[in-house]
Amino acid sequence: MTVAAAVGNTTPQRTPEPEPIVPASFNATAMGGRFVIHLDVEWSGRQPVRGAGRHDGRAAADNGADAAADARRDAHVVIDRVHRWAERLTRHTETSDLSVLNSDPRSVIPVRPTLAAALLAAMVAADASEGFADVTLLDARLAAEEGREHTGASRISEWQILRRHRGSGIVRRPPGLRFDLGGVGKGWIADRALDLLSDWPSAVVDADGDLAVRTAAGRAWEVGVADPRSPDTHLTVLRLAAPAGGLPVRWGVATSGVSIHRWPSDGAAAEPARHHLIDPRTGRPAVTDVVQATVVAESALRAEALAKSAVIAGSVDGFALLERSRVRGAVLLTAKGDVLALPVTLPLLDR
Amino acid sequence: METPTNRPVPAAHAPKSKPDAWPMRLALGAGGIAAVSALTAAIVMPPQTVTNTQVTQQTVQQPLSTPVPASTIQVVQPVKYVQLLPGQTPPPGAQVISPADPTPRTVVVNVPAPAAKQPAAQPPAAQKPVYIKTTQSGTVVP
Repeated sequence: MTVAAAVGNTTPQRTPEPEPIVPASFNATAMGGRFVIHLDVEWSGRQPVRGAGRHDGRAAADNGADAAADARRDAHVVIDRVHRWAERLTRHTETSDLSVLNSDPRSVIPVRPTLAAALLAAMVAADASEGFADVTLLDARLAAEEGREHTGASRISEWQILRRHRGSGIVRRPPGLRFDLGGVGKGWIADRALDLLSDWPSAVVDADGDLAVRTAAGRAWEVGVADPRSPDTHLTVLRLAAPAGGLPVRWGVATSGVSIHRWPSDGAAAEPARHHLIDPRTGRPAVTDVVQATVVAESALRAEALAKSAVIAGSVDGFALLERSRVRGAVLLTAKGDVLALPVTLPLLDR
Repeated sequence: METPTNRPVPAAHAPKSKPDAWPMRLALGAGGIAAVSALTAAIVMPPQTVTNTQVTQQTVQQPLSTPVPASTIQVVQPVKYVQLLPGQTPPPGAQVISPADPTPRTVVVNVPAPAAKQPAAQPPAAQKPVYIKTTQSGTVVP
């Protein structure tokens, strides 16, 4: 791997930057993880969120108390919607649309609009990640979790979904093929939730560490990249800013890795690590030199798929994949402890 | 008795003069011959030899330098790289890779830790709070 330059030597002269946004944050729990909405209450050019029941045409919050109250109301509207999405897409309840699909013995199954849209997003993610983001690896993942041997790799080419009227769909798949939306589902929910907050020019939806971000012109969010080796510290801080006088900029930031979501091994030193990132080429937990990957892209869905892919593919092939995918930024922590980034990340690094 | 007069007998319809069919027959025949000729030429045309001047953007068709007998039907396969023979020159725009060059790598940069950005001589500045964090999902297994 070639190291081209130190970060400090390539800093271009920049115009004065806006102060980072101090958000109003609203927490919830969804899909087995934390879910947080951050809103820029200091920004005055907003309209109430759809469905919040207040469309009186007030263009701006007159004072901070109004802004905070509006933010709370709008965030709760979106959180309610997120709960409904999550209830349909989780595999951890038997009544979710996903679980019903997975337990259906038929090979042609109609699905409701939310699941159809999420499965379509899964196809987009698989395409964007050159097949690494694969929702057909549930059995392999469960085998890894339970310490069982699993044979069989990706079955991503064996299924398809057709959209029908009003957003519903039909899934065609071999009987027994089961799906795990996992990170794809979280990324899809984060993006859709940010869509619902379109009246807040600066907003962040945090779906268990995967972020959908919108920055208003002249504003900036700061996002810390967690260091998995020590809690409450950052590998680096990403600055997601939008130039003044332009349009709002949308981002997706996602982190994936093998150091958190893993299961204790049986103690055998030679046993490969058991973690949740399954290599679709082998059907087993990926053997990789990447501990953690953070990707900045256009959407949370795409960022999540590519971050996962970079970990599974390893640092060399992962960086090559990220470069081909034209991501907006990528930071990798390797097993040696190196923190490496694509050069395109440099303008985002907080200095 | 008066013989019937020669009443004017309605004249039989004179046969309508038909257009001469030969010009149309000639035209159709010539068109048919041209069509059959074009189809025949397309079917039996020998595979063309691709020279190195046809290399564009690393994508060419085999074969490259050896002429192909007209009677040989070859499967055309796309290839990405062409090894230039001595004396051959690459076409304009083609990417040339020397066999001695290392495999192309992705260029990356080292990211300094946030704490390392503070000069050692100065007292550590109060760290700005970061409200938003991207993390791996899940909980830490002890």
